[in-house]
Amino acid sequence: MQVIPSICTFCGVGCGVGLRVEQGRVIGVEPQQGHPVSQGQLCAKGWSTSFAIDPSNRLREPLIKEHGQFRKASWDEALARVADEFKAAQEAGGANAVGVISCARATNEDNYAAQKFARAVLKTNNVDHCARICHSPSVTGLARTLGSGAMTNSVADIDQADLILVIGADVTENHAMIGARMLRAQARGAKLIVIDPRKTRLARLADIHLQLRLGSNIALLNGLLQIIFKNGWENAAFLAERCEDITPLRQHLASITPEQTSAATGIAVAELIRVAELFSHSPAAFTAYGMGITQFQSGTNNVMAVSNLVLACGQIGRPGTGVNPLRGQNNVQGACDMGCLPNVYPGYQKADEPAVQEKFAEAWHTAMPSTPGLTSMGMTQAALQGDVRALMIIGEDPVVTDPDQHQVARAFAALDFLVVFELTLTETAKMADVVLPAASFVEKDGTFTNCERRVQRIRKAIDAPGEARIDWQILGELAARLGYADMVWDSAEALFDEMAAVTPLFSAMSYAGLDANHGLQWPCNAEHPQGSPVLHAQSFPLGKARLFPLTQVEPAEGPDAQYPFVFTTHRFHFHYNCGSMTRKSPLLERETPAGLLLINPQDAAEHGWCDLQAVRVSSRRGALEVRLQLTDDLPRGTVAMPYHFLEAPCNRLTNDAMDPVSKMPELKACAVAIEPLAAGVVPHNPIDAREVVAHASL
Amino acid sequence: MQVFELDSPERLRAHLAQSRTLYEVRADGQGGEHWQSVSVGDQTAFNPSAATASFSAKSFFFAEREVLFRFEGGQFLSALPEVAPQVLFGVHACDLQAVAYQDRFFEGDPHYQSRRAATLLVGVDCVESCDGGFCHTVSSGPDVRYGSADLVLVPRRDKHAPWLLLAASHAGVQAIEALSLTPAIDDWASERLANSQRVAQQQGEQVDIIKGVALLNAGKIEQSTWERLGLQCLGCSGCTSVCPTCSCFAPLDQPTASGGMQRERVWDSCLYQGFQKEASGHNPSATPGARVQRFWFHKFGDEINAPFEHYGCVGCGRCDRVCPGGIGVHGVMHKVVNA
Repeated sequence: MQVIPSICTFCGVGCGVGLRVEQGRVIGVEPQQGHPVSQGQLCAKGWSTSFAIDPSNRLREPLIKEHGQFRKASWDEALARVADEFKAAQEAGGANAVGVISCARATNEDNYAAQKFARAVLKTNNVDHCARICHSPSVTGLARTLGSGAMTNSVADIDQADLILVIGADVTENHAMIGARMLRAQARGAKLIVIDPRKTRLARLADIHLQLRLGSNIALLNGLLQIIFKNGWENAAFLAERCEDITPLRQHLASITPEQTSAATGIAVAELIRVAELFSHSPAAFTAYGMGITQFQSGTNNVMAVSNLVLACGQIGRPGTGVNPLRGQNNVQGACDMGCLPNVYPGYQKADEPAVQEKFAEAWHTAMPSTPGLTSMGMTQAALQGDVRALMIIGEDPVVTDPDQHQVARAFAALDFLVVFELTLTETAKMADVVLPAASFVEKDGTFTNCERRVQRIRKAIDAPGEARIDWQILGELAARLGYADMVWDSAEALFDEMAAVTPLFSAMSYAGLDANHGLQWPCNAEHPQGSPVLHAQSFPLGKARLFPLTQVEPAEGPDAQYPFVFTTHRFHFHYNCGSMTRKSPLLERETPAGLLLINPQDAAEHGWCDLQAVRVSSRRGALEVRLQLTDDLPRGTVAMPYHFLEAPCNRLTNDAMDPVSKMPELKACAVAIEPLAAGVVPHNPIDAREVVAHASL
Repeated sequence: MQVFELDSPERLRAHLAQSRTLYEVRADGQGGEHWQSVSVGDQTAFNPSAATASFSAKSFFFAEREVLFRFEGGQFLSALPEVAPQVLFGVHACDLQAVAYQDRFFEGDPHYQSRRAATLLVGVDCVESCDGGFCHTVSSGPDVRYGSADLVLVPRRDKHAPWLLLAASHAGVQAIEALSLTPAIDDWASERLANSQRVAQQQGEQVDIIKGVALLNAGKIEQSTWERLGLQCLGCSGCTSVCPTCSCFAPLDQPTASGGMQRERVWDSCLYQGFQKEASGHNPSATPGARVQRFWFHKFGDEINAPFEHYGCVGCGRCDRVCPGGIGVHGVMHKVVNA
């Protein structure tokens, strides 16, 4: 029996985890006592790791679809097929007729290989990943205000904070170790303020909960700022020294009154004043936010509004402060850092700059594409139009996770060719023409980057099942078949070293350095050889930060007579995103039945509905049969579902109305109608006649 | 009990490792301290720190996951583990007390017992308290309890004095016979007692624990107190994973490659909402507070622990460290006493 130290595969906290290995199996995990972020703790998902990567339903060989059925194939045959199809797609439709959706859960090494494959081999910038539907507005919004979209401080700054402001994030459930740290900070005297339309656990434990009307973020943040400026509570010295002129913002806010803000947000004036005063007067305020800010059609502006508040009060660039977007996936920060985005190369070097194109052309010994690339949302649309013909999806499940499920399925069906790299046969994999079996995080070496920019080592503990291979190995072999020989690496470390050599943010990083320091936070270069826990201490990447006048934008689809309920999406603690890993744990699978629609008890009573009542919930895009769960977590008029359960795919209902800047779809708000099912009818949502995935059962 | 002088625990370790797979707690350089198998030639100095490793010895006997049986070709096939002789080297008193507790709980369990029978336990007295432990208060340490280990190492205050080695069972005596150790002449009993008293002083009076347990057994804790604690329970299952005496499990059935089925037993956690939920949907422990309450009754309830002649809690302090909600044993008892 051995315990191999690694990093958890689930969320962006990046907890230390010890993989317990017995006879070639990972049979459990142990916490890592001295880990700087997790400090000897894990959440329910982390504890379930052994089930998550259990070999029982893992893909072991490549699969090729023939006459609607999958058959096993050799790697030779499968790779040849993929290479031929991509070649054919490009011959028919041009270089941009293909695309790569990379994986926010795969390693930095895998992601670097994916975008190198897209650019050097396929000669396209059509590369993206699920950050598009998660924190893309953080990238775009903070780029405009600060010049950099990553968490500005570190998780440890929570220990130093005098006040913690959480907006639109259910931290104890989804970033549990960060939530735990916030609660410990509160226990030693820090004030905890939560802004959320739901009464989450954190909201209930907070000192102040502002239960704002769903989607009124900018109105609230403008309102707090107006009160701060009116009273002269802003940090004038910081603004004068570190920010561009804020006269436009002042003027814009002058026309707002606290009464107007209260009407727009549903928050009492006294509470607005109280929070404005506390935040502006706090010696160190740590601000964290999540999907409740980003997943709106005004996502970018919502992020900028958060940034406005933080900058106006100078709550940045020092310990215990910062603008801290809570990145969701274990390596979504890394997937962005590695350039799996249509507009940037590794290290956020701009893809449309000739100097950057030349640099990579030289490093990779081939010309770089010059046309801008499509986002994942763009590729879905282009597939529907026939402009994108072949798509490669690495370890993501857009059929379950992306908005407007019917449209996603139509788009994938419209493709000439779809290849999916996966651990198990997900809903998206079932739609593929070729499925390639991939190694999980316990079966390979590499690095993950957590939300605080900490690049950490993961370590191979066991062999991959069957013939499953590492993503970067698969990409290297495909590249070779497409005539490009420069994607063959001896080891993950060799790959990492190549990446660090072309990525200034990582230039001083090495595996040895990561091993010795519990990872390193970028930028890690000649000026910061030990990494950077706190950003923007002296100046911002933009030089001076910018504050922008912003106006409240209502969600695209509000409740009306036909669809009278506001519908929002959320997550449970026990499951992770599409559930493909957590639902393999019999203990987690047992926690909640699939297909629950959460509703306020008074709303239910008004309609004569009871707990577990079977209902049909419908939106303009689709409908589902589910059961109601009564909870006073929700305000009246708002209902919610998690998206973990493919039997009750809530994304049939969601809206893809998009933020124009980041192309983020409005997953947090749309309108639905609810009708009870006839007595005795059991809720059922037909999925296409395909193999039914067997989940863990007791 | 025979007591010997031992010049070097490393020599004892090397000797035992010749005929058994040897496990010791090792730091992994990445903030973790884990039980790891150690090779025969390993020369690392044996420096037991008081700090408890993240896991106790529980998983060596009550396996975290193990196949109970298979159903193949129309037959049920038992899957008892084949366990090569092994030795756990340097187990703390608290964890050994927990093994003794589980020995009784799993008395009739062939899987547990086959692993247990193949294992030699080498305990080590703690001469300093760990952070947060309270073994003294619950009578599970710091000195290894009689009967809970085969061999017991006693560190000396005087660095130049040889270690003391207690051979506390027949298996222990046999295991060291070939070493021909000199019998100890010092007053080892007094020395162990002095060590214990020192640790007891470091651990202090533990008023919250003592008062809290009394309130619990007197039925004097309000339901609202439990519910308030329940709000801080994320249901992560950390406590039940690290608690050395937790023993709940669930079955997991999976198809085998040859078309049959296998049943695995896997660790479960009573803090999960689904743990006690019945097919009808009724749940005797419907609220998180009820589940937290149940857990602490299992650890400190007089009635439920009577057959074991010891609390389920051995004072190891792991739950305090592992709980994200801050409701490990000290968190809970403090709140209960001050409610």
